[in-house]
Amino acid sequence: MKLYYFSEMPHHEFPDEEGDKYPSLRLELPNRFFDRQKAAANYRRYLDEYEHADRAGFAGLMINEHHSTPSCVNVGANMTAAILARTTKRAKLLLLGNILPIEDNPVRMAEQIAMADLISEGRVLSGFVRGVGVETWWANANPVHNRERFEECHDLILKCWTEPGPFRWEGRHYHFRHVNPWCLPLQKPHPPIWVPGTASPETAVWAGRLGYTYVPFLVPFDIARELFDFYRQGAAEAGRTVTADNLGFLICAVTADTKAKALEAGRHFVWRMGPTLRGPVEYFSPPGMRSRAGSQFALKARPRSLATMGYEELVAEHFIIAGTPDEVADRFAHVQRQLGVGHLLLEAQESRMDHPTTMRSIELMGAKVIPALAGVS
Amino acid sequence: MKPHEQTISVGGVDVQTWVGGQGEPLLVLHGAGGSRGFTRAFRLLAERYTVWMPTHPGFGGSGDADWMEGIDDLARFYLWFIDVARLGRPHVLGHSIGGWTAAEMAAMSPGALGRLILVAPAGLKPERGEIFDIFYHPLATVRERTMHDPASVPEWPELFSTPPTPAELEIAARNREMTARLTWKPYMHNPRLPHFLPRVTNPALVVWGREDRIVPVVCGEQYRRLLPDATLHVLERCGHVPPVEQPDAFARLVLEFLGGPVTR
Repeated sequence: MKLYYFSEMPHHEFPDEEGDKYPSLRLELPNRFFDRQKAAANYRRYLDEYEHADRAGFAGLMINEHHSTPSCVNVGANMTAAILARTTKRAKLLLLGNILPIEDNPVRMAEQIAMADLISEGRVLSGFVRGVGVETWWANANPVHNRERFEECHDLILKCWTEPGPFRWEGRHYHFRHVNPWCLPLQKPHPPIWVPGTASPETAVWAGRLGYTYVPFLVPFDIARELFDFYRQGAAEAGRTVTADNLGFLICAVTADTKAKALEAGRHFVWRMGPTLRGPVEYFSPPGMRSRAGSQFALKARPRSLATMGYEELVAEHFIIAGTPDEVADRFAHVQRQLGVGHLLLEAQESRMDHPTTMRSIELMGAKVIPALAGVS
Repeated sequence: MKPHEQTISVGGVDVQTWVGGQGEPLLVLHGAGGSRGFTRAFRLLAERYTVWMPTHPGFGGSGDADWMEGIDDLARFYLWFIDVARLGRPHVLGHSIGGWTAAEMAAMSPGALGRLILVAPAGLKPERGEIFDIFYHPLATVRERTMHDPASVPEWPELFSTPPTPAELEIAARNREMTARLTWKPYMHNPRLPHFLPRVTNPALVVWGREDRIVPVVCGEQYRRLLPDATLHVLERCGHVPPVEQPDAFARLVLEFLGGPVTR
């Protein structure tokens, strides 16, 4: 099983009691709380940590993107990918991912991902996501078109990468009279495509049909298994065989020299489960963004929101894994046995977890955990 | 004619339509919340007019129209509906997004319509203030802002006192999705509509609640200015839904307006 390092690049640089005054940290916390000096330092720090993870032997560096929220100030996945393409050497660059439904120019998206792939000498894993409602508000994209735009944007990017230009694209949501990108990915026919899942059965079926690597995020094991079943259903429709390499899982994880230190560091993950997800349902799921089937599955997948769970429960349910290197290796192997995944994505820094703690965790993962997991499959 | 339900198929979309009353046809176009049927105000209107009350495509029990992109599509659709239902040249009364639809229809084909009653119509960008974002804010907040004083709504017990059934919640979600489809961007207005309204010489009555906290009453002034033959009537102590909040006063206004000579 391969391990991936992921940081949301949080900007938790404001007093929590200020954040509590607003209906949500997303969309509503005024950006006068954005500290420019600290942000400048944080970006450099977070990039240092990614580079450290590359040297430590992580199989990949996962990069995501959000907007209008202090939980993640990585506002351009492709921008970060371009930096890491140049400053790292070995790890895959897992974009998970570009938010397709809010993208108005899929051709530019195809070019940017291709450029990162070229600079990194073919290390890009290109993830495509539907995004949460917050990004829909940020972009003012109509949520009822979310899935249609996701699929059409994907189709056009794939066509840019695989079919010779020039060609014309007249779709429902995208219209380009002359497509002929002079930047194509190094990997042929194109970078591998990954898709995350939290609740949409349709996305799992779709990813299975197309053979993309599918990664549920922070869901209980039984829900992950159900989503994998939807994935297998899609794969079967297309006559594909599913292997561990098609499946991944995302959790929060930190290690330290002692169990006590690790458990203390792990508390920083509670911020991303609760305060940063707090807010009216309308912010996260505007009308029509989810199908009825998706909405029903979401209710089942989240009988209780993560925000209502305490730290100990989050640890017990494997949403957070914190311990000595031996202990986390053991827990990761448990996840692998439970789910049969080939890729484990570690959200490995959060909230106010400091730089030395993060760097030490990365080091210990590299020295002890990654080697221990190499044979687990 | 007692109100009864018909299905009228227009361009492949089945439109659930309530019809009732006697006299000249009056086409009634509902707002974002969906059709409430023959509430008191419309029973009063049906005493003198044949009220045609279709449920918009994508709403309630009507068929889907996922291909629609905006209120201008809905307006073209209802001009077609008038042909299919053989309504001749009906008067049109529209509330909120239904009022916006009526204004678009009139701008497209003024000769196809009689008199216009626009009730707190969306459609224009307010010169001051903003149209309240009904999608961004929690439903409870939207409901709280919709009417000025629930205690003074005569039909409150019949209309709002029982909790919605699962089927009604499903319809409410569908109505909301279709409204988002039609009005998301630019939100609740058409920047080109003001350029076409001067074409609409039909006599028009614009009705607003003084306390409307969804579409600001300044939009009523804008409609009155842009339409060549419009009067604006602002009801005091009334919010965004005059036909429900003040059914008797509302019906009287409309009947007086329609009783005047039809000049076109």
